[in-house]
Amino acid sequence: MPKPVTKLLKAVCVALVLVWSLVPILMIVVSSFKADRDIFAAPPRLLFEPTFNNYLTLWNNWGDFFHGLVNSAIITIGATLLAVVTSALAGYAYSRFRSPTLAFSAFFLIFIRLIPPIVITLPLFPAVNVLRLNDTHILMIVLYATFFVSLGTLVMRTFMDQIPRELDEAAHIDGASRLQILRKVIFPLSAQGMVAVAVFVIVFAWNEFLFAFIFTTTNAKTAPLVISEMYGAVEGVEWGVLFAASTLQLLPVLIFVILAQKHLVAGLTAGATKG
Amino acid sequence: MSSLDLRRQSRVKSALPALFMVGPVQLMVISMIFVPVLFVAWLSFNESSFGQAPVFVGLQNYVQVLSDPYFWRAMGNTILVVLIVVHVELLLGLGVALLFASGVPMRPLLLAAVLAPYAVSEISAVVMWRYLFDLDVGFATQLLTALGLPALEWSINPFHGLVLIALLSIWLHLPFTFVILYAARLAIPNDLYEAAGVDGASAFQKFRRITLPLLMPAMLIAMLFRYIFAFRLFSEVWLMTGGGPARQTEVLAVYLYLEAFRYNAFGEAAATGWLLVLASLGLAVFYLRRLYKEMFAANA
Repeated sequence: MPKPVTKLLKAVCVALVLVWSLVPILMIVVSSFKADRDIFAAPPRLLFEPTFNNYLTLWNNWGDFFHGLVNSAIITIGATLLAVVTSALAGYAYSRFRSPTLAFSAFFLIFIRLIPPIVITLPLFPAVNVLRLNDTHILMIVLYATFFVSLGTLVMRTFMDQIPRELDEAAHIDGASRLQILRKVIFPLSAQGMVAVAVFVIVFAWNEFLFAFIFTTTNAKTAPLVISEMYGAVEGVEWGVLFAASTLQLLPVLIFVILAQKHLVAGLTAGATKG
Repeated sequence: MSSLDLRRQSRVKSALPALFMVGPVQLMVISMIFVPVLFVAWLSFNESSFGQAPVFVGLQNYVQVLSDPYFWRAMGNTILVVLIVVHVELLLGLGVALLFASGVPMRPLLLAAVLAPYAVSEISAVVMWRYLFDLDVGFATQLLTALGLPALEWSINPFHGLVLIALLSIWLHLPFTFVILYAARLAIPNDLYEAAGVDGASAFQKFRRITLPLLMPAMLIAMLFRYIFAFRLFSEVWLMTGGGPARQTEVLAVYLYLEAFRYNAFGEAAATGWLLVLASLGLAVFYLRRLYKEMFAANA
């Protein structure tokens, strides 16, 4: 094929990839600044008079949504801290120690990833009711963290395998305790891995729907659940307000993913190739 | 003491502190996932609903589930969606990965664009795609009409509904498949292509003889993970169609949810749940076997 043709073909492919990835996102972000008559215009209007009315209505009528954002933030931060700390500890153990028990428990962690989350809601639902843990932040934090510690541990082990053992041994000879070696040598050097694990958990906990739907009702209700209620209003979905809510829920995590893309790629690669 | 001795010594002393360090993770996984799943197995052999003492019924729940036409409908839908989603995603992911590997302008920006859907929640994705395919004003519907194609009547026609669900599922998860394949493609040494070029290989021959075989392990891993995760599909279906019209677009996870939380049939739901677990394990059995052998070879 002559060069210009290949170049053109490539440009078309790049354009298609951009349209596919970005148009759905841009559409709701842009539409959140549209008045109803522009939202329901056919063909769609690219030029329109922007308005903040949807955001005002959201603020005035859907206080629940902002409560949901706060809940989502609390749960996301809690789950991330819990998952990162426990995964880092376990990842260190799997990276530095060998024993049949450990090998079996590492295998168990991979095995556990195969269990579909919806299955465990059956016994957990009555159990958390008895323990009066339903609709609490702590339950959601532990649930979300639990579903990511397997992957988190594998990712941390991969990153920690890259830290030379000689460093541990040198610190050991200098009289450092296990805990000191962890705190002063290993954790600082595996910060990249921790960020990679954090990216996974943050995106998951911020967006998760199934567990929030089953285990939260008012107190710990998360933002995605509130949006689904706005969307599920049988008659008269207020599309503009829905777009505004989706935009507010999406933008922080979208910006975060773009900023952390290097770590996301590193984490996905480490997690997938090593188990 | 040589460092070899030190290593050996730490290996012997290791077991205890190491078990403490893996303790928290194992405790979480065992108490929140493993014990509940065993409980589901027990539950699947009992007749029970909310607030009632369970009664042992043997395999009756399984018989009931397996003779329920709605279960088979959900099974068929799940298989259809999984097959479409995983394979289309793999092809698209491969295409985009090779496009990136061949050199694109403004790579970091383009990469950010391709990864963007990873940040989108299922509910927002449903809002986007439903608006895109709105029968009256949807951008995609109008595009289809302009091209002389029929509109996707996703709320009336169950097959169209499943296609839309598959489409939005592919959109949400393409970043994952793409990243795995792109990383694997970047790991192929350039020398191979240069050597092939010297030998006069065409672009297609390079793809057929170098790229494809060397990407195969990554493709298999990406495919396996996507099979397992696509199989659990719940939110997209629940939010898009709710399984309707007339229970025609239910998938297995939605079927399980309805059995448990709408019809209060915990026994049947538990049986469905175990069938889901077994199917996931079945999909992964070769992968698990290989990992098991590798791990014990390295650790024993």
